[in-house]
Amino acid sequence: MTVYVLQRLAYVVAIMAIMSGLVFLSTHALPENTAQVILGDYATPETQAALEEKLGLNRPLRVQYGEWAGGLLHGDFGRSLILDQPIAPILWAALAKSAIIAVAAMITVSIVGIALGVAAAVNYKRPFDYIASALTYLGLSVPEFFWGLILILVFGSYFQWFPTSGYSAPADGIGVFLAHLALPVVTLTIGLQAHVSRLTRSSMLEALDSNYVRAARARGMPERIVILRHALRNAMLPTITVLAQDFGFLIGGIVAVETIFAYPGVGRLLVYSMSRHDLPLMQAAVLVITAVYCLANLAADLLYGVFNPRIRYGRAVD
Amino acid sequence: MAAPSIENGAAPSVARRRRLPAAVILGGTILIVMILAAVMANWLAPYPFDQLHVRDRLTGPSLAYWAGTDEYGRDVLSRTLFGSRLSLFLGFAATSIALVLGVPIGLVAGYYRGLVDELLMRALDVVMSFPSLLFVMLILAITPPGLVKTALVIGILFAPPVARVTRSVTLDVMTEEFIVAARARGERAAYILLREILPNVWPAIVVEGSLRVAFAILLGAVLSFLGFGVQPPAADWGLMISTSRDFVDVAPWMAITPGLAMSLTVIAVSLLGDGLREHLDPKFHSTR
Amino acid sequence: MKPLLEVRNLTVRYATNGAAVTAVRDVSFELAPGRAIGLVGESGSGKSTIAGAILDLLHGDAAISGEILFEGVDLCRLNSKQRRKLLGRRIGTVFQDPFTALNPAMTIGRHIAEPLIHHLGLSPKAALDRACHLLADMSVPRVRDVAAAYPHQLSGGMRQRSLLAAALACEPPLLILDEPTTALDVTVEAQILALLADLRRHKDVSLLFISHSLGVVREVCDDLVVLYASQAVEQGLAGEVLVRPKHPYTKGLLASLPRVVVSGRASRLPSIPGQMANVAQPPQGCFFESRCPYAEARCKTEGQALLDIASQRRVRCWKAAGVGDWPVVAKAAAAAPRFSRSDALVNVVDLRKTYRTSHGLDAIRVDFSGQGPALSYRPKSVNAVDGISLSISSGEVLGLVGESGCGKSTLGRVVLRLLRASAGSVEFDGVPILHQPEKALRHFRRSAQIVFQNADSSLNPRLSVGEAIERPLALFNLVPTADRRRRMEALLDMVRLPRSYQTRYPHQLSGGEKQRVAIARALATEPKFIVCDEPVSALDVSVQAVIVNLMADLRDEFNLAYLFISHDLAVVAQISDRIAVMYKGGLCEIGVTAEILRRPRHPYTEALLSSLSVVDSENESRSGRLRLFGSIEAEDEQISGCRYQARCPYKVGAICETVTPPLRQISQGHSAACHLESVPANGVAPSYANPPRS
Repeated sequence: MTVYVLQRLAYVVAIMAIMSGLVFLSTHALPENTAQVILGDYATPETQAALEEKLGLNRPLRVQYGEWAGGLLHGDFGRSLILDQPIAPILWAALAKSAIIAVAAMITVSIVGIALGVAAAVNYKRPFDYIASALTYLGLSVPEFFWGLILILVFGSYFQWFPTSGYSAPADGIGVFLAHLALPVVTLTIGLQAHVSRLTRSSMLEALDSNYVRAARARGMPERIVILRHALRNAMLPTITVLAQDFGFLIGGIVAVETIFAYPGVGRLLVYSMSRHDLPLMQAAVLVITAVYCLANLAADLLYGVFNPRIRYGRAVD
Repeated sequence: MAAPSIENGAAPSVARRRRLPAAVILGGTILIVMILAAVMANWLAPYPFDQLHVRDRLTGPSLAYWAGTDEYGRDVLSRTLFGSRLSLFLGFAATSIALVLGVPIGLVAGYYRGLVDELLMRALDVVMSFPSLLFVMLILAITPPGLVKTALVIGILFAPPVARVTRSVTLDVMTEEFIVAARARGERAAYILLREILPNVWPAIVVEGSLRVAFAILLGAVLSFLGFGVQPPAADWGLMISTSRDFVDVAPWMAITPGLAMSLTVIAVSLLGDGLREHLDPKFHSTR
Repeated sequence: MKPLLEVRNLTVRYATNGAAVTAVRDVSFELAPGRAIGLVGESGSGKSTIAGAILDLLHGDAAISGEILFEGVDLCRLNSKQRRKLLGRRIGTVFQDPFTALNPAMTIGRHIAEPLIHHLGLSPKAALDRACHLLADMSVPRVRDVAAAYPHQLSGGMRQRSLLAAALACEPPLLILDEPTTALDVTVEAQILALLADLRRHKDVSLLFISHSLGVVREVCDDLVVLYASQAVEQGLAGEVLVRPKHPYTKGLLASLPRVVVSGRASRLPSIPGQMANVAQPPQGCFFESRCPYAEARCKTEGQALLDIASQRRVRCWKAAGVGDWPVVAKAAAAAPRFSRSDALVNVVDLRKTYRTSHGLDAIRVDFSGQGPALSYRPKSVNAVDGISLSISSGEVLGLVGESGCGKSTLGRVVLRLLRASAGSVEFDGVPILHQPEKALRHFRRSAQIVFQNADSSLNPRLSVGEAIERPLALFNLVPTADRRRRMEALLDMVRLPRSYQTRYPHQLSGGEKQRVAIARALATEPKFIVCDEPVSALDVSVQAVIVNLMADLRDEFNLAYLFISHDLAVVAQISDRIAVMYKGGLCEIGVTAEILRRPRHPYTEALLSSLSVVDSENESRSGRLRLFGSIEAEDEQISGCRYQARCPYKVGAICETVTPPLRQISQGHSAACHLESVPANGVAPSYANPPRS
């Protein structure tokens, strides 16, 4: 197990290094001149030259990268061009807010997805299964932003139960804080739980059909124990993997959801920086989001190792 | 032991069912209808997609405008019809690119294994370590957007998962003894890959491909929703929904029509994929 | 005395896809307390369905009629919950596959403790203690370690013992065993069967034993029910039925069993022609009629009823009293050919194949015991083939015998260059082939072919039979395109398949038919040498005989040489001219079949021979037999000395641990690798109850 953990850690470090290089390259080594991209409509040879001078864009790439990467390791993400402020504090604040919805969504998704999947598998080919499948389809096929819009329509405009945009700090009242979180989290959950419930259902079906479940039933174990302790325990392994995959979807979803609900998280920051060509901010945001993604995958790998006895206890006993 | 039969308490299989599952028929039909509608949009649409009827702006569904009008008075139904072209093109083009790139990589990695496999998989891992949306957004933010470019980028992005799936099924097939028998005959790699492995692998690829079409359509929609896709006044579902956000109180049909169209398309593709998986899988694992 | 289990007129019907299939038809039998009854039949006979019906483990759409009286209560009348209460508590079950019957995420101790906690209300600690006791009863060493282990850490034999312990945890009066030893090596099987005999002596448990193996049933069971195509065709005392069978099917089955006897090249196994009746569309009269050598017109039209012919003896055949033995195929005895070693077709010298089981990042070990973490690099490797030399002449069959994991399959594949050898040489027809470029191997590829164990997997499911057989013809351009079809049909004739099969696909064929197609495909290139890797192990016994006979006929007709690999010594003895015994990558003994069988020189060979169950001897006791300890997988890697020393009852001392015995010639054509001059003929063979060392 120790070796497994070390391997994974080494891998993450390597990926992050490569990632920073790729991000850097993508913003600094593309066909269009970087300064031109930043300036957009205001690009003239003079302004371009001035900007290049100011940002040091005409220095060799190695040097620029070294400076940027060095800064990163010190927690200095550079300075936003548009906002003219250090990026780090803005970024962390936005990340924290996104983290709140992300964590809330993942928790809800795990609970709802697994519960639905198990229930569907246990009621295989009966009405509940079909309904659950239909819900899964809807969840998978309809994009988050559309759900978001529907929720805004129904709960925001029509019923007026929840606010449809913005964020409110917990210090200003827990109730309002949670109310602002409600619609974004529900929107994310609808889409993501579909993956989880689907996979849970199929791995449960496989587990329920397995020989060890048959043997457990033959030992007289009541069905409840068979489902929960025997089948689910083994069906969880693929589910953990898919939860990790879901993180990728989550990130995509967060960007869309934050945009539609005007929630000041890192996704919205990213879109903002991209539409305004604020390259330093964009680089920083992309890198940080990717880092979170890598770490989430690492966590999933480790969790998988914990749950899978083959990895936890390698070798033979007798 | 011998083939499963009543031995394992399983109900004995009698005649093999040749009928297509309902999902395939349903999904396939809807998809074909949508494709036809997209192709024939010019004739089907009651109005050109960019024709303004300023006096009738923001009116609800009526006989003149079956799905109402948007903030410029453009017919929502026509725009939805034309929008299907962009989405469907994106879906299929991106998936084709992903298949063309990913399937050979997967086959080669699964067949040769060893160093080739390791290198390819590590390279794919790196590409897959990027959250997909971010990757595409990054590229499209730096360079001028365009439909073909979007399809290309999404295609390259989807090639690794396709390669993974292909590799995985190839590895499964490689354990089968008819492959060993082929090598015992001294067959060349090209023959084994094309005539022994590929015919047993393509069902899984088709299923994965249908999944990719669905994802590509959704990804394209999100991109244009966020403003990285085609620009106004083009008729694109994501863009339509994005601009409808501000009018959702007064004119919900602006968002609902393209949203429903998109959902229907993706549901159709998903149904098709699922149905195909159900239909094709038992044939390969006929002994299970 | 009231029977413990009484099955009356049990019928199980499935109604899938509109067609009704009767899997079990009107079966009745009784099990008295303290006795063991066997249900014997081939695949499709319905024996496992009966167990499924008793245990309520059948698919939902199964319709069960009849009565299953257990301790006086009709199980069919109970609902699922009530039935579930009985299971585990009053009825214990052990299934076939120990590798999948254990929950991979639960320790062994948990598995056994679970029914104790649930049925008997023990506390977890008390249950775990009891579980350890039970494991000790099953002769499991180091019970605490095993109880804390996960299934993937244990060998097959250990797992099956654990499953037995779990089944017997609540001390049920009835134990149902469904093919419990089929997936195990023969030496491990012998241990488990001895264990069962022991349990019957000391505990008060009755057995319902399901198996396809007549030998095993003979050893374990008092009573016997023979099943064929959903019906019981013969019932009675096991000793009676197997020694003096009355039903033609039973006779045929017994006759077609290969025996560990020296048989000449001309001998062929008696076999049952045709195939089992299709249970979906059963024939009108007797189900066995189409395959019965004694069938008459009456048999075709009249359904057969189960007749009582003596006390406790029933047969489903109206001719039972008057019918003789199963017809034996008599062939003209041919002179045994002499094979000289000097002009061998295949010559293998000191062949080695080593696998690295952990290398690279996996081989790095972190040790926290000292001050700070200490890294070490310890790659591990396994010698799957450890210096093997042998030769095979044209037309000769060399049988290669060994248990799972000994490396025999690996050897076969390395010889054919399907795996890369680590060292050594292989010469085919005088030409060394291991280091040639693939292009130069065309002649070799044509002349050396392989037939696999798993016929399902050896045929491409997308190719029709005709296409599969024609491919080698096309590849080697052996016949012009126009003649290929005719040649393919000739090949089908050779393997005795109807020509109409050429358009069929593998999933439409039975196991035996698929194997014949695989053989035809191998023959297409007109090879001189075929590696047969467990070609009949996955087939039913009656089909095995047919295939073995076919292979012998083909050998005679085309002067083929075989390397016949199998774990089944009886099958190997039937067809081989010489036998090589393999253990953990090395050869223990090699020699002419007659010599090996009559006078084995290596302790392992002797152990293998003694582990086999003998079906029809009058004396069923095995007290004189040799048992082995442990199993091949359970051992750690060992560095020096004889490979077999950890399990050898004749170990002489330090020399066995330090010096690897070389293959020494004992007589003309017979060599063995053992330090002993010879295995003591009447040596004190330690029985399983008293192992020489713990």
